[in-house]
Amino acid sequence: MASTLPPSRPELVCPAGTPAALKSAVDAGADCVYVGFRDETNARNFPGLNFNRKELAEGIAYAHDKGAKVLVAINTFPRAGQPELWHQAVADAARLKADAAILADIGLIDHAARHHPELRLHLSVQAAASNPEAIAFYAERFGVKRVVLPRVLTVQEISAINARIAPVETEVFVFGGLCVMAEGRCALSSYVTGQSPNMNGVCSPAGEVRYTETAQGVTSELSGFTINKFAANEPAGYPTLCKGRFIARDKASYLFEEPTSLNTLAILPDLIKAGVTAFKIEGRQRGRAYVAAVVQAFRAGVDAVMAGRPLPEIDLDRITEGGKQTTGAYEKAWR
Amino acid sequence: MDSMRCQLRKAASMIPGHVQSSVRPAPPPFSPVLLLGLALQPLRPQMLQPLFDAMLRMIRARHPDILERMADYADKPVCIDPTDLPFVILLDPHPEHPALLVRRQIENGEAAAVIHGSLETLVALAEGKVDGDALFFSRRLVIEGDTEVVVALRNAVDGAGIDLIDDISAQLGPLGTAFRRLAGTAAGLAGRLRDDFETLRASLIAPAVKDVDAQGARINALEAEIRQLRKAQRRGGAA
Repeated sequence: MASTLPPSRPELVCPAGTPAALKSAVDAGADCVYVGFRDETNARNFPGLNFNRKELAEGIAYAHDKGAKVLVAINTFPRAGQPELWHQAVADAARLKADAAILADIGLIDHAARHHPELRLHLSVQAAASNPEAIAFYAERFGVKRVVLPRVLTVQEISAINARIAPVETEVFVFGGLCVMAEGRCALSSYVTGQSPNMNGVCSPAGEVRYTETAQGVTSELSGFTINKFAANEPAGYPTLCKGRFIARDKASYLFEEPTSLNTLAILPDLIKAGVTAFKIEGRQRGRAYVAAVVQAFRAGVDAVMAGRPLPEIDLDRITEGGKQTTGAYEKAWR
Repeated sequence: MDSMRCQLRKAASMIPGHVQSSVRPAPPPFSPVLLLGLALQPLRPQMLQPLFDAMLRMIRARHPDILERMADYADKPVCIDPTDLPFVILLDPHPEHPALLVRRQIENGEAAAVIHGSLETLVALAEGKVDGDALFFSRRLVIEGDTEVVVALRNAVDGAGIDLIDDISAQLGPLGTAFRRLAGTAAGLAGRLRDDFETLRASLIAPAVKDVDAQGARINALEAEIRQLRKAQRRGGAA
C-alpha cells in the first residue's frame, strides 16, 4: 500500500574517485559521497583512482565537518578462498567511521553483519536485487538498510517496490553511465579481457584498450578486437563491448546500447513521488569538473522540487557520453 | 610486444617535427597560443627547460600524491603534446627521479603514451576545470599508446587539486601576491584576445561556411530526389 505522507527530501549520493573530487562533491551540495579503496574491492578499480586509508580518514573528517556522509563501496565479489582483502576493507570502513558500506557479495554481507554490527549496510547495485522478496531477504537476514536498485526498473515498478519494502530504503541512479546488462552478472568484459567489474573492479580495463587515430577518425580496440570506429568529428564513447558497433547483415550499428548517459533531471518529481530515499550519481572514474557540474545540477533540481518550484533547465550535454542523454528504463520510451 | 612498438612508432610519427607525419591527430585551434607557438618556433626547446624544472620542483613540493598515484607506472614516460606549441613535454613519472623534459620531438619508443590537446585544454584538464572523459568524448583530447598510463596520469593529476596560480604564488614567497595580480591581468587579457580571435576566425571562414551550407542544402535536395525516385521505382516494380 502506497504511503499518503508527503515525500521526504531525498539524499543526493555523489561519486568521488579522489580526495579532490570528494571535496568538490561536498562543496557542490552532496548529502553523501561514495568512494572506494585503491584495490580490487570496488567496482571502479581504475589506475590512479581511489583512496588509501589515510585519504579516506581525511575525506570522512572533511565530509562530516560539512554535514555530509561518506559511503564506502566494497562491491566486488571476493575471490573464492581469499576473502581477506575484502574482510580488511570492511573492517577499515567500520574503523574509520564510514557512514555505511555498500556491499554486493552475500558472503561478505554476512561477514560484515556478524563482525561489524555497528556498520550500516547498503546493498550494491551489483547484487541486482530487483524485487521485494530479494530485498526483504537481505534486510531480514543481514539487517541491510538500503538497496541500490538496478537500472532496469520503471518509475512505477520502483514505486510498487517501495510500497512493499518499508522501512528498507531505496537508492536509484539519476545520472551517468548505463549498464545494459544485469548488473553484477555481465560477462562481456571478462569474456574478452579476462577481467570483469564483478571480480576485478574493472570493466574493459584501460590496459586492454588502444586508440588508433587516422585521417578518417579514431578506432578503439579492446584486447586486440576492434569494437568501434568514430568518424573525425563524431562524439566518442567508452570502449566497452556493450557499446561496441558491430556489423550484422552488412550494417554497422550498436547492437546492445549506444554511447549515452542517463539523465533524470526532468523526471525527478516522479522519482521523489515514487518514494525513493536517495539519488545516486554515477561516475567515480570521472574528474572533479564532472562531479561539481552534475552535483550542482541535481542539488538545484532536488531543492526546486522540494520547494515546489519549476525544475531548472540545466544543460549537461557537454559531459555526457556520446553527447546523448536518456531516461533509460525509468520511462522505457522505446516501448 | 611487437604491436606495442608499432603503436609507439606510429604515435611518435605524429609528434610535431617528424617528417613522416602526415596526420595531425588533433589540429590546433586558431587561438593566441597558436600565434605564440609560431613566435616560439625559432627558440631551442632546451632554453625552456629551466621553466619545466621549476614546475617539476613545484609539483613535487605541492602535490607529491601525483607521483605516489603513478608509482605503478614508474617506467612509463608519457609525452604531452600541446598541439598549438612547437614542442612536446616528456613526463618521466619515476618516483625517485622524475623528469619533465621539453623537446622538439620524442624518439621512437621513448614514450609509453602520447596525449594531444591544445595548451588551453591541457591546462584546464590539469586544473580539474574540465572532465577528461568529456574531452575525450568530444575529441578535443586525443590519446595514443598505453591507455592505462594515460588514465592513471589523468586520475592522479585530477585528484591533486592543482591550481596553477595558487601553486606558483606559493613558490614565489613575498612575490606571490604580485604574481597573482599579474596572472589575473594576464588571464583577463587572454580572455579578450581569445574572443577577438574567435571573431576573426568566424569572419575568415564565413565565405567557406556559406559555401558548405549551400552544398549541404544541395545534397539534402538530391537525397530527397533520390528517395522519391527509389520510391517511384519500387512502386513501378511492384506493379
